[in-house]
Amino acid sequence: MERILTRNIHKDDSQSVSVYEAGGGYQSLRKALKMDPDNIQEEVKRSGLRGRGGAGFPMGVKFSFMPKDGDKPMYLICNADESEPGTFKDRVIIEKDPHLMLEGCLISSFAIRARACFIYIRGEYVHGARVLEKAIQEAYDKGYAGKNILGSGYDCELVLHRGAGAYICGEETSLMTSLEGNRGYPRLKPPFPAQAGLWGRPTTINNVETLANVPFIIDRGADWYLTLGKPPNNTGPKLYCLSGHVKRPGVYEAPMGLPLKELIYDLGGGMLHDDRPLKAVIPGGSSVPVLRAEQCDVDLDYDSLAAIGTMLGSAGVMVMDSSTCMVKAIERITRFYAHESCGQCTPCREGCGWLEKILTRIEAGQGRQEDMGLLENIADNIQGQTICPLGDAAAMPVRSFVQQFRSEFQEHVDSKTCTVAHAQAHD
Amino acid sequence: MLGQEFEAKVDEIVSRYPEPKAALLMLLWEVQERKGWVDLESEVWIAERLGVSPAHVHGTVTFYTMYKQKPSGKYHIQVCTGLSCMLRGSDNLMDHLEKRLGIKEGETTPDGKFSLIRVECLGSCGTAPMFQLNDDYHEDLTLEKVDRLLDGLD
Amino acid sequence: MPKLTIDGREVEVEAGKTILQAALTLGREIPHYCYHPGLSIAGNCRMCLVEVEKAPKLLIACDTRVQDGMVVNTDNQRVRDARASMMEFFLINHPLDCPICDQAGECRLQEYATEHGRGTSRFVEVKNISEKAVDIGPHVMLDQERCIQCSRCIRFCEEVTGTGELNFFRRGQRTVIGVFPERPLDNGYSGNVVDICPVGALTLKEFRFQTRVWYLDNTPSICAGCARGCNIIVSVGTQRELMGTQGQLDESVKRLVPRFNEEVNGHWMCDEGRLSYQRLYSAPRIERAQHPAGTVVPWADAVSAAASALKSAAGKVAVLLSSRTTSEDMLAWRMLLEKLGGDTIGVRANHRGDDDDLLIRADKGANSRGAAWIFGEGATEDAVLDALLLGRVEALVVVGDPLDPVDTANLEARVREKIANVIHVGPFVAGTAESAAVVLPAAAWSEQDGTMANFEGRIQRVRRCHLPQGEGRPGWRVVRDLAEAAGIEMPPWTSYVEVLDSLAEQVEEYRGLDAESIGLLGAKVGAGTAT
Repeated sequence: MERILTRNIHKDDSQSVSVYEAGGGYQSLRKALKMDPDNIQEEVKRSGLRGRGGAGFPMGVKFSFMPKDGDKPMYLICNADESEPGTFKDRVIIEKDPHLMLEGCLISSFAIRARACFIYIRGEYVHGARVLEKAIQEAYDKGYAGKNILGSGYDCELVLHRGAGAYICGEETSLMTSLEGNRGYPRLKPPFPAQAGLWGRPTTINNVETLANVPFIIDRGADWYLTLGKPPNNTGPKLYCLSGHVKRPGVYEAPMGLPLKELIYDLGGGMLHDDRPLKAVIPGGSSVPVLRAEQCDVDLDYDSLAAIGTMLGSAGVMVMDSSTCMVKAIERITRFYAHESCGQCTPCREGCGWLEKILTRIEAGQGRQEDMGLLENIADNIQGQTICPLGDAAAMPVRSFVQQFRSEFQEHVDSKTCTVAHAQAHD
Repeated sequence: MLGQEFEAKVDEIVSRYPEPKAALLMLLWEVQERKGWVDLESEVWIAERLGVSPAHVHGTVTFYTMYKQKPSGKYHIQVCTGLSCMLRGSDNLMDHLEKRLGIKEGETTPDGKFSLIRVECLGSCGTAPMFQLNDDYHEDLTLEKVDRLLDGLD
Repeated sequence: MPKLTIDGREVEVEAGKTILQAALTLGREIPHYCYHPGLSIAGNCRMCLVEVEKAPKLLIACDTRVQDGMVVNTDNQRVRDARASMMEFFLINHPLDCPICDQAGECRLQEYATEHGRGTSRFVEVKNISEKAVDIGPHVMLDQERCIQCSRCIRFCEEVTGTGELNFFRRGQRTVIGVFPERPLDNGYSGNVVDICPVGALTLKEFRFQTRVWYLDNTPSICAGCARGCNIIVSVGTQRELMGTQGQLDESVKRLVPRFNEEVNGHWMCDEGRLSYQRLYSAPRIERAQHPAGTVVPWADAVSAAASALKSAAGKVAVLLSSRTTSEDMLAWRMLLEKLGGDTIGVRANHRGDDDDLLIRADKGANSRGAAWIFGEGATEDAVLDALLLGRVEALVVVGDPLDPVDTANLEARVREKIANVIHVGPFVAGTAESAAVVLPAAAWSEQDGTMANFEGRIQRVRRCHLPQGEGRPGWRVVRDLAEAAGIEMPPWTSYVEVLDSLAEQVEEYRGLDAESIGLLGAKVGAGTAT
C-alpha cells in the first residue's frame, strides 16, 4: 500500500519545510493557485472526500455553501481540537507533517476565497502548537502564506489559536464562539457557519485530516482519489487510531474500508493477551455505539458501519478484551461527557450528570432493577433535544452499552458486585 | 502589569484578530506562562485591555480546565483517565502516583513540588497509559518508568 | 405574509416571526423559560420544543421562523412527553426550597411542573449543591442552587445596561451564575433581573421574606419617581396576623414591579423608582386635621379656619405645589385661586443629576409637564417666594409632595418667620407641616386616583392602591371642602373622573380624553383630538 497521508512522518526532520518540499510539497499549492477556485471545489466534490472529524459530511458540498462573491471577509478554520476519546490521528500530522496540513489549509482557503485560516488547536497539544508555530513561520518566509502568495495575487493569513481544555470546542459553532473570546457555547443553527460564522462572516470549518487530503486531490486528481477505498461514497486514504487491548496500538494508514479484524489482528498484532479474547469494539471514538465481538466482521468505512447501527466517526478504534467490565467502561465514558458538557442547555447539562451518577452507583454495587430502563429513557430524553450533538454523543453510547451488554448490568444489580475482573496495567 | 515586553506581546496578539476580544484565550495563556496561573488581578487587566467586563474574563477562565486559578506544584502531573488509558492501567498509575507522592488526586505536595490531577483523553491512546507533566507528554508508562522519571526531577 | 397552522388553527404573521410569537397571537403561550421579548434569543432551556411536520426532530418554538404552509403541533403526546422530560431535568438538582423561597406563587418551575411535569421524581442520587444566599449587590440576593441557567439575567446586563456584571462560571452541571469578586451588581437597574428570573434564584433584598405573593393586592399604576412615569404594578399587602402588626391589617406597599409599555419604559424600571415606595414610610403620616400644627381638631373646624384665612387674604393668596401633584389636584387649586382672585401659584421644581441613556430623567417631577400645561412656564417656586418677600402674600398654601417627605424641609426654613398664615395640605409630618397654622391630611401617591403627564407628554393614570391613612383624602376633595367652607362655588365633583372631565374641558392637552381612552398604557397629548 502506498503511504499517502503518512508518507513523510518517519523522515528525519519531517516537520521542516525543506524536507516537505523535497518530497514534492507545496507543488499542489502552486498548481491550485493557477486554477479557478470553483474548479478546485468541483474536484474536491468529485473525489468524494468526506469530513474526517466525525460527521463524515462531503467536503466539496460544504465548500459550496460559501458565498462566491460579496464583500464580507470569509474564513477557513482548521479544527485541530482533536479531543474525541480514542482519537489521536490529527496529532500525528500536526507534529510530524505540519506542512501537509498547512498546504491543505492554504489550498482550501483559496478554494473558498477565504482571507485567513485560523487553526484552533487543543490546549493540551503544547508540542504540536510549537511545531505548528515554527512551520507557519517557515511558510510565511517561503511565501506560501501571507500577502501575494507565490505571486498569485492571493492573500491568506495563517493564525494559530490555542484552546484551553474543552472537548466541546471541537464542535464547529462552539469553536467559533471560543475563538471569538468567550466560553465555548455552541450556537443555534440556522444561521449556519457558511452564512454567518466567525464574527458573523461566512466560515468553513474542516478537520486536520480532511484538509491533509486536499493537496493530493489537487496534485493527482479526483479520478485517482476515487480508486482508493470504496467509491463512490467511501473514498480516499484513511488514518485509523487503534487503542486498547492490542499488542501494537497506534495510527495506521489504509485505504478507506479497512476490515476491522485486519486492523486489530494484522496491523495491530492481535489481542494484548492471548488468553483474553475480543469482547467489544468501539469503532469511531467514544461517541459511537459499541459493537460486540461477533459484530466485528465489518469494514471500517462510513456506510458499512452505519449499516450495522454504529458510525466511523473519528476512526478511534477502541478494543476491549474479556477482562473489561462493560459497566465500568461506560461509566468512564459517561463521566467524560458529564465533565465536558458545556452546560448551556438543560437536557445535556442535567441529563449527562444524572447518567454519570446512576452508572457510578451501579458500578459501586448499589444498582436497582429499574436503573437500566431509566438509563435508556434518560438517553432518549437527551438525544435530539439539545443544541448540539454532544448530548447525542453521550446518549448513544449509554443506550448501546445497556442494550448490547444487558446481562452484565443485570449481574451488577443482582449481585451488587462486578463479576468481570478489571483490566490491570502490566508493568 | 507584567512589564513592557508583556504588553508589547499583548498588542501583537491582539493585532492578529479583526476583533480584540478574540485575543482573550491567547492572552490568558501569556499570563499563565509568566505567572504560573491566572490571578484575579490579571483578569481585571485583560478585561480592561479588551473592553469586556471582568465577569466575562472570569467566566472564560473558569470554563476552560487548563487555566489554573491557583498555583500548582512545580511539576504538575496530569494523568490521562480516558477509556483507552483506563484499559491499559491508568487507575493503577494514579494509585501508584498517589502513594508515591503522598497526596490524593487534586492535591499538591506540602513542599509545593508536585501537584496531581486527573484529566480526560489527551489524544495519546496509542501510547497508553500516559500523563502530561507540565507541557510534556510522557507516554508508554510503566510504574518503573514513572519512578525513574520522578527520581530525576529536582 | 406566511400562513401557518398551529394546533389546527390557521394564523398569518409577518415573515421573520417565530412559532412562539405566532402562537401568542392566537392566545396560546408555549411554555418557555429563557425566551424574553426584551432580550436576545438564547434557546437553551429547551422547554418550548414543538413538533413541526416534516422536521425529524422537535424544534424550539422561540427560534424557529415561520414558513408558509408550516404545520405545528404544540400539544400532542410527543411534545407533551418532551416537555415532561425537560421538566424532569430541571427538577432533579433543584433544591426543595418552596417553603422558604420568595418566588413561590409566581414561580414558573412550580407552574410548569404542575401543568407539564411527570408528577413524581425518579431521581434518587445526591443533588448538586452550590452557594445559597449570596449577596451580589445592594438590592439583589442570589441562590445559585435554584438557578436554572436560563441566562436571562446575564443577557439583561449585557444587552440592556451594557455593564456585564453577571456571567456563568464553571461548566456543565457545575455551572453557576455570579459576579466577579468585589464587582457587585450595581448598575441602577439591578432589580430587573429579579423580575425576569423565572425562579427564586435572584430575589430582591427589600422584598425578601416580607410576604407571600398570593397575599398581594396588585394595582396597575405609574411610578412617580421621575418624569418618565414608568408603568408599574403596585403590590399592597393584605395579610393580617403578620409579626409586628398585632392582628392589624397590613396594607402597606410591599413592592413595585414594571409593567410593559413599549412607548414609555419597555419591560424595565430603575432601582430608585422600584424602591421609591419606601419613602412613603420614611416619615410619620398626618392622620388628623390640625389647627395649629400639633393640635388635633375636628376636620370641619380646621377647614373652616383655613377657609376664613383664605377669604380674608383674597387677592393675596399663594399656592405652592409639588411637581408630583396630580393634574386633577392642580386644576382644583387653579380654579380655587382664580375664584379667590390671586394668581400667585408655583410648582416646586425637583431636578437631580442627569438623564441617562435608559430610563432615568433628571427631572424628578412626575407631573412637571402637566404643571406646565395647567399653570404655564412662569409658575415657579421662586416666583412665589419672591411674591412672599415683596409682601404680596398673606396666606400661603403648601401642597406637600405625595411621595417624598423630604420635599418641603428646605421650604419650611425659608417661609418660617416670613408668614404665619401657612396652610399645609399633604400626607407627611415634615417641613411646613410641622409649623403651619392649619394642617390638612391629603392622600399619598399610592392612595389616590389621578393623572400625570410624563416628559414626552403622555398622560397616564396613577391609581389608588390602598386607602389613605386617617382622614387623608385626594387634594381635589380638600379643595372642594375649602371652597364650600369659604362660600366659593366649585363644580360638584364626587369622583376623580369628574375632575378629569373638567381637565378635558379646561386644559387644551387633555381635550377629548377620559379614563377609558387613557387606559392602562396612557395617551399621548393630542390623542384625544386626533381625527
